[in-house]
Amino acid sequence: MGTPQVDRRFFLTRVGVLGALAAAGTAVPGVARAVTTGPADPLVGVVSKLLAELARDTLNGLAVFVVPGPDGYSRTQGTPRSEPGAMEAKTPDFLIESLDNYVPMPDQIAAAVGRALANGLADVPIVVPNGLPLIPNALLADLDDVIKLLLRNDSALPLSAVIALLLNTQAVRVDPSSAVGPHLSPFSRLSFAKKAEVFELLEHADPQLVKAIDAELPEPLKGTVSGILQFIAGALLEFSAFGTFCEWSTFDADKLTVSKRPVGWDLAKYDPGSMDGWDEFKGYYQGRQKVSAR
Amino acid sequence: MRDVIIIGAGGGGAVAAKELAAQGLDVLVIEGGPRHAKPREQWSRLENDANNPLTGYLRVGQEDRSKPAAYRELPQNSFLWQVSGVGGTTQHYFGNSPRAYPGVFGGYDGPDAALYDVEHLFPYSYSEMVPYYEWVETTLPVQTAAVGTKESVYLQGCETLGLPVQKTKTTLEASYRPQENAILQPGGTAGKTNDANLLKFPQATGCTFCGHCFQGCASPAGAPRNLAAKRSTDNSYMPMALTAETWAQGGKAVELVTDATVTKVRTEDVRGELTARGVTWLDNRTGMVHTEDAKVVVMAGGAVENPRLWFNSDLPNPNDWVGRGFTDHYLDWTFGVFEENVGSSKGPASAARTDYPGYGMNMNVGLMPGIEAFTMTFSDSGIRGQYTNGRGMSGEWDGKTGRLIGPELKDVLGHGLDNILNVVSIVDDDVSPINRVTLSTLPADENGPIPKVRFDNRHRTARSQRNREFLAREAARLLKGAGAKKVYRMDFPALPLHVHSTMRMGESEKDSVVDHSGETRAVKRLFIADNSALPNSVGGPNPTLTMQAMVTRISEHIVTRYFDGEAWVAKGSPVLSTDSRISRRLVELGL
Ligand SMILES: Cc1cc2nc3c(=O)[nH]c(=O)nc-3n(C[C@H](O)[C@H](O)[C@H](O)COP(=O)(O)OP(=O)(O)OC[C@H]3O[C@@H](n4cnc5c(N)ncnc54)[C@H](O)[C@@H]3O)c2cc1C
Ligand code: SF4
Repeated sequence: MGTPQVDRRFFLTRVGVLGALAAAGTAVPGVARAVTTGPADPLVGVVSKLLAELARDTLNGLAVFVVPGPDGYSRTQGTPRSEPGAMEAKTPDFLIESLDNYVPMPDQIAAAVGRALANGLADVPIVVPNGLPLIPNALLADLDDVIKLLLRNDSALPLSAVIALLLNTQAVRVDPSSAVGPHLSPFSRLSFAKKAEVFELLEHADPQLVKAIDAELPEPLKGTVSGILQFIAGALLEFSAFGTFCEWSTFDADKLTVSKRPVGWDLAKYDPGSMDGWDEFKGYYQGRQKVSAR
Repeated sequence: MRDVIIIGAGGGGAVAAKELAAQGLDVLVIEGGPRHAKPREQWSRLENDANNPLTGYLRVGQEDRSKPAAYRELPQNSFLWQVSGVGGTTQHYFGNSPRAYPGVFGGYDGPDAALYDVEHLFPYSYSEMVPYYEWVETTLPVQTAAVGTKESVYLQGCETLGLPVQKTKTTLEASYRPQENAILQPGGTAGKTNDANLLKFPQATGCTFCGHCFQGCASPAGAPRNLAAKRSTDNSYMPMALTAETWAQGGKAVELVTDATVTKVRTEDVRGELTARGVTWLDNRTGMVHTEDAKVVVMAGGAVENPRLWFNSDLPNPNDWVGRGFTDHYLDWTFGVFEENVGSSKGPASAARTDYPGYGMNMNVGLMPGIEAFTMTFSDSGIRGQYTNGRGMSGEWDGKTGRLIGPELKDVLGHGLDNILNVVSIVDDDVSPINRVTLSTLPADENGPIPKVRFDNRHRTARSQRNREFLAREAARLLKGAGAKKVYRMDFPALPLHVHSTMRMGESEKDSVVDHSGETRAVKRLFIADNSALPNSVGGPNPTLTMQAMVTRISEHIVTRYFDGEAWVAKGSPVLSTDSRISRRLVELGL
């Protein structure tokens, strides 16, 4: 409605959408201002797909932050490795599946994060770097409307997308130049140290972020955000590690075993043996098989 | 009307079920999670399939794993680790069964008496507890742990600390020892071969050193359920409760309903006293609501769900202590990297320990790689080398505390899981009213408002913090003594996996929920029989044996107070949970 064009640019930059458009070269249908912003609107489909790609790209950047490998994301963050890492272990898939299907995070909280991003947090002025696509104002407005609609709508976005928008908003905050560059998402464009800064903000329950989200929560939920953010920050790191080193990527649920050795087992030189036992019994300490009854 | 309804078939509920069934009472047990009837066909024993808190077969939630896990609000960086189902959290416990330190009991007058949480002692003495310890130790049974490579290395480290070896059941001073644990000692081929074909029961008996305690014990292959190596209550006490008529004179098998969650404890006024009347529960699969009445109701849903159920049942909370005083052993984690193989991935998860009465304890832990990676990234001190959250402690370990992320995580774990020895510090932490369970304002689930678990690690008492720092130093000294080339300390955020004292037993009406018998002060005929009734953190030792002894004592009070029975522990002798009558009856019942 009354949103000035410059704010729209800040918002779309911060959540990573403009940069993603530039990187993907995605053609955005030039629908005119007759946007219905209903599900039938072609722009909604395009934007949802774009946000899903943006989410996956962000989680690629997260997974290699925890376990880098020989991939391009690890190179971008400045810590390439020759042996396989989280990308080879399919950790981003593990994260997306967990976040979207199993994390029983109440929609109200996810939606409040979304609304906080839509209602101002991401409009905070930043230096918009060069290299972002020049999009006609009408289209900019359309994009802005659609994304904000999705964000404001309870449960319209999968949790992975909300988490990604959150990481990207913080990424552009710690390093405005991450709004544009290789990959689709600002978070994935950060150096290792800058990614750590994003987590520092989240673990400290960044007051700016907390205030913005809190404002979007209905009364009984106010005050719950800072704790939940701290929990999420930790869980994202720990789940990235767990997902990479466990059997998830090659697990065969019908046979209850792995179809081949998971990447993490190689990385940790883990040998499960027959699963049924090891020749490992060394005896009893000092030969004592029983202590005194006292 | 039933004699007794027991809510929860975990570490405590199963003990009450077995003891009351043996006395011939008509007992109904209602368990919120599944009964894993055929572990060898249902359990991969791989860690994501088993332990993923969202989807694993050992999670908190209903049986249908395509449905979300139960949600709890954790308003801090933390991880609450519990399990639903018959056996409860003992399904993945490590079986360690030390006794509590005598100093946490009433009447203790040893020279170190002032070192303990003196405001929150057991309302009875250690010597009063001993017969109940012995009863449970025989029933499970508890034995001296067989030792593998990782224990040998750990014990070598202990030998450098200048401490004596403990050779008694009771811990009398700072000392070290192999665990006393509820794991059957290896027999036959167990522990002597890697060949699965040679590891079948009865050729192999007891612990086969498979290395999967955390994923549930299903070894040796082909063993009757009550002869599985680890004595989690799905293998020990529940089989006894389900077959009580065959091994106890006058005993009556319990009825067990699983995948059904109690949503309300119902009460009535009897001669001016609020009195338990029965329960209401939800069949998780069908969504049907059931109610049933009983002369006595026993809450054994664990330290988080009991307060939740109390609040959701609108029961009175006059002194405001329901849910408060949560102790969790304020865990910390230290590990060493070794040049030689220390066998971390093999054998029972933890079979050696160091005790420090007045402070807590340290013990070794072996894990699979995913959970090992979890422990290395789990810290309250930020990311090593990047930021510290205002902590980042240095000491006898190398560098600062903090999460290992990125290249460092890979480098360290890349030494190989079997070149890493973990030590968990289990702190004697104080009962403190600020650590607590309340109802969350987040949306309710089908069982009502959900629990919120608050642990304020930054405001632990000075004694709890002192104890933790002491244990971390000792852990680092031990690892260096054992030959570690590099030692890391994590500074864990709250990791409540020993969860106690949220419905605490106490001497004083001012700060306790149940009296010495386990009966709640506010509601007659309502008893608490699990970790939540523990008066304190038992001084640091792993809590389950002490809780099971306490629950045995509580069961006697139920029978003598409300069913005209006599106490049995002082005079009787317990039947072992490995008894062949139990095995035979389980086979007949197809269990
Ligand atoms: C990794 C790990 C290792 C451990 N190792 C050890 C060890 O070596 N030694 C030791 O002493 N302790 C150990 N513990 C702790 C031990 O598991 C607990 O002390 C013990 O299980 C507590 O028993 P409980 O009965 O209080 O609760 P639980 O065992 O958690 O049982 C509670 C049961 O109640 C059910 N329930 C809850 N609410 C309801 C409801 N409303 N309706 C119906 N059912 C309900 C739950 O589904 C659950 O089955 C370990 C814990 C963990 C996490
Ligand atoms: S190591 Fe022993 S006790 Fe643990 S799961 Fe394997 S067989 Fe059972």
